[in-house]
Amino acid sequence: MSGLLLAAVLLPAAVALLLIPRGGVRVLALALAPWTPLPALALALRGAEIEVTPFPWLLLGARIGLDLTGQVFLLFTALLWTAAGVYARAYLRDDPGVVRFFIFHLLTLTGNLGLLVAHDVATFYLFFAFMTFAAYPLVVYAGDSAARRAGRVYLILAVLGETMLLAGFLLAVQAGGGLDLESVAAGVAASPRQGLVAGLILGGFGVKAGALPLHVWLPLAHPVAPTPASAVLSGSMIKAGLLGWIRFLPLGEAALPGWGAVVLALGLVAAFFGVLIGVLQDDAKTALAYSSISQMGILNVGIGIGLTNPEGWSSALAATLAYATHHGLAKGALFLGVGVAAAAATAGRTARLATAAGLGFAALAVAGAPLTSGSVAKGYLKEVAALSPGAWPVLLDWLLPLTAVGTTLLMARFLSLALWPDAARAHGHLTRGLWAPWAALLVALAVVVWALPTAYELEVEPPALPYPGAVWVSIWPIVAGLLLAWLALVLRRRRAVGLVPPRVAAGDLLVPLERTAGRASRLLRTTQFPPPLTPVVDLATRWYGLYAEADHESRTRRAEHRLGLWPTAGLLLVVLALALLAALAAG
Amino acid sequence: VNWEFWLPLLLPASSLVTGVLIFLVREEQFRLRTTLNLLGASVKIVLVAVIVWESAQGRNFEARLDFLPGLDLVLRVDFLALLFASLSAILWLLTTVYAIGYLEDSPNRSRFFGFFSLCVTATMGIAIAGNLVTFVIFYEMLTVVTYPLVVHRGTGEALKAGRTYLLYTVFGGVLLLLGAVWLHALAGPQEFVVGGSLGELVETRRTELILVFGLLVTGLGVKAAIVPLHGWLPQSMVAPAPVSALLHAVAVVKAGAYGIVRVIYFVYGAEEAAGLGVLGPLAVMAAVTIVYGSLRALTQDDLKKRLAYSTVSQLSYITLGVAVAGSLATVGGIVHLMHQGILKITLFLCVGVITETLGVRRLSEMDGVGRRLPVTMGMFALGAFGMIGVPPMAGFVSKWYLGIGALAAGEGWVLLVLATSSLLNAAYFLPIVHVAFFRPTREEWGSRQEGGGRFEARALLLFPPVATAMLALAAGLFAGVWFSPLGLAMTAVAEIYGP
Repeated sequence: MSGLLLAAVLLPAAVALLLIPRGGVRVLALALAPWTPLPALALALRGAEIEVTPFPWLLLGARIGLDLTGQVFLLFTALLWTAAGVYARAYLRDDPGVVRFFIFHLLTLTGNLGLLVAHDVATFYLFFAFMTFAAYPLVVYAGDSAARRAGRVYLILAVLGETMLLAGFLLAVQAGGGLDLESVAAGVAASPRQGLVAGLILGGFGVKAGALPLHVWLPLAHPVAPTPASAVLSGSMIKAGLLGWIRFLPLGEAALPGWGAVVLALGLVAAFFGVLIGVLQDDAKTALAYSSISQMGILNVGIGIGLTNPEGWSSALAATLAYATHHGLAKGALFLGVGVAAAAATAGRTARLATAAGLGFAALAVAGAPLTSGSVAKGYLKEVAALSPGAWPVLLDWLLPLTAVGTTLLMARFLSLALWPDAARAHGHLTRGLWAPWAALLVALAVVVWALPTAYELEVEPPALPYPGAVWVSIWPIVAGLLLAWLALVLRRRRAVGLVPPRVAAGDLLVPLERTAGRASRLLRTTQFPPPLTPVVDLATRWYGLYAEADHESRTRRAEHRLGLWPTAGLLLVVLALALLAALAAG
Repeated sequence: VNWEFWLPLLLPASSLVTGVLIFLVREEQFRLRTTLNLLGASVKIVLVAVIVWESAQGRNFEARLDFLPGLDLVLRVDFLALLFASLSAILWLLTTVYAIGYLEDSPNRSRFFGFFSLCVTATMGIAIAGNLVTFVIFYEMLTVVTYPLVVHRGTGEALKAGRTYLLYTVFGGVLLLLGAVWLHALAGPQEFVVGGSLGELVETRRTELILVFGLLVTGLGVKAAIVPLHGWLPQSMVAPAPVSALLHAVAVVKAGAYGIVRVIYFVYGAEEAAGLGVLGPLAVMAAVTIVYGSLRALTQDDLKKRLAYSTVSQLSYITLGVAVAGSLATVGGIVHLMHQGILKITLFLCVGVITETLGVRRLSEMDGVGRRLPVTMGMFALGAFGMIGVPPMAGFVSKWYLGIGALAAGEGWVLLVLATSSLLNAAYFLPIVHVAFFRPTREEWGSRQEGGGRFEARALLLFPPVATAMLALAAGLFAGVWFSPLGLAMTAVAEIYGP
């Protein structure tokens, strides 16, 4: 069975190889390409674990299997990749680079699937790295200066992450004495350099998961890739970082309260930070990327509980799995929806209304509106939040609904950008290949999370159907968010707000960093140094030069950033958050 | 026939005969020369394969000849020797094929291939030398027979590089010889046996033994390009591509690194060497070399120079692994002997293809090369990822064992060196790959079809790097198989440390 699993993982890569030679084989492979995740999907839907089997001849002794976590991840990953693949065929119909796109799409897919079934550290690292590097051509696909900059930042942080992981893995394996997942996680706990090892693993996977402050590549790379690639980047590949944490941190085994607190705190900061910067964006996909940073921050809660309270991990894991599934499908649907909306902008009224309804549904799901997957996932998370130590339960009880207010605001901003694209962004024809996979994904979004607890025997109760209280719990943040958006609109119209909110370009922290590096580089070049220092200075400036290869175009575009009502709304949210925090502190 | 005696002799002798015969071939006898070349290289691969198989069944191969009174020439095959010998044999065949394509219609081909074969003779001798004297003899022979290859083009620049090469290596050779003679005077003939045969002397003649170790390792360090003895290597890049590939991946540099392994484990003994306190400084020098080489590689625009500095850096992984000692780190060092060879030869052969086909020698001219030569650059990318240590390429396995081994030996700082080096490797390799694939192609190169022929470059040039890249991929992907480099290295280390 595990052989079959490995074959299902390698199938996309095999089809990618068939795409390389010209001719009839290529045509066939291209037709097959979108459907290659189906065998993996079938194995996920089978609803049974696959026993971990050693493949001693492979790598350093590979171990392949499918546990509960793997099944759930495989389910939403395969669903999303299938939808994105079918969508990509239509999206890139007239694009001369379609073969190149699909080669790397498929290779990345193999990496993404493989890391879900890997049960030893070397194989996991292999597929993780494979996914990372194979995705680079997808990021730089557009080939313009914005894509190249995004690619550079992506690659630098990815290599940094890989290196941190290698060091962390080596330390953990040395302490744990084995390459299998359990030994490595135990090794993290047992290592004499426990803090360092856990930090390396948190940071190494944090790059992929978009954790603060390693997130700077994400709002650049996710939006700049072709839309189907954005969907899998932000929906499923981002979850590879989360899975890495689940696999290699000693969750449920040992308590690391220090790192646990850091994870919880950074997660909450990210949850608000993503929203705040997100509403300041004027590109729909960038706003979604920031929403991903925010949502991944919320997912930190589960990991934080696992790190601080080992007994709580099995429930926290279940909540995390549900939330990851929900967010993966929802974010995928939102990204694919951006392209559908752009095509629908030039189509008829019905198409536009249907698109608006679909996008609205996915947006509401992310915000956690009643009866959506978001309310279920958030419900689970709220329950397990009580398992966190110290004052955290109180804090989370207040702040989690508040993140939903922020998310509603961000989603409103996103919808306004996606449904009314400016002339330059409205393009494409609304073909079936474009809307059908999107619609299928929306259906999956509507049902999968509800079915998850029963289908996979998660350690959480399936949610009872809405009772008045439950509805109000999930409804007030939405109402508050919408009210805020409306208020912002009114205030802005009447020019009542004199405050000018700050401009924040995509990449946020990266921008001042780049500026500082540029200034330092200019300073170094114009200053005379004593001879022994010259080669070092020369190296530094040369490397900055390589990094900075002028991209004026994207910079000017960013400078034209309009000040609209959204910054105001974002500012109001901060005020509200501060007020609530103050109330909490006073109470 | 007593195969246990004759097979070790045949290993270097087959190339010696080939070399001598090729010298006799007239310049225009292309077919005869090619036949001899390929026959010699193929026979050697068969010989090595037979010996690997038979050794795995537990047979011992040893040839002992009288040399001087009380001094024997010994050729003995252990697993460490097999590792080096099989690496050389395989890469030799591929490089020969490449060289035949590369040197088409250029002058002095008989001279070139003659010395080429003598190089492999010396390398085989180094691999299976059973005592220090035999090792030194073949080591000096290698110095002499590679010189004509470095200066093959005969230009002023080549002759200058040749002078530098001779200056360094002869100086190194003298130190090695001096060390060997001194050791002989101290302790008699030095057979290569596990743990060494110094015995009591380690206690009684400490200072002398430390000095001798210094002489031996400095002598070997020249070829192994340990900083500051590395200066000849980047200069030697004027040589034709197959020579650079050969010198830098297999023969010369590896002879140095291999010698260091032999000296530490088979002359001194790991524990004894550690007791003398000589391994710590060696490890530090190796670490310095790793970082220094990478830093220098960063700023090189000339592709071959960038690769040369990368070699300086990567070679010291081997030294670092054996100097850290402990069975796991030694596996890492020894397996890197193979892995670095396969990976680096891939990179050099690819650069040779690019230079031959498009005339590109520098990174700044590389824009879009990957679109014109997708297979070549694809293989280059595989090699580069291997060097960075990305799985499943072979380099990952090396780094993994070096890291684990260093930690097991309590040398956590090595991890920092490995991490720094990985980052720097990425920093100087990935821009090449990026520029080649993601920048627009220059128009004057035309399209693939216009070049004529079925492939993007001459088949004889294209095939060898594809083969070596696939080997590097297989070496990592199937590292768990017993005859993979890792499997052989583990067997070799089991001979040293016990199972």
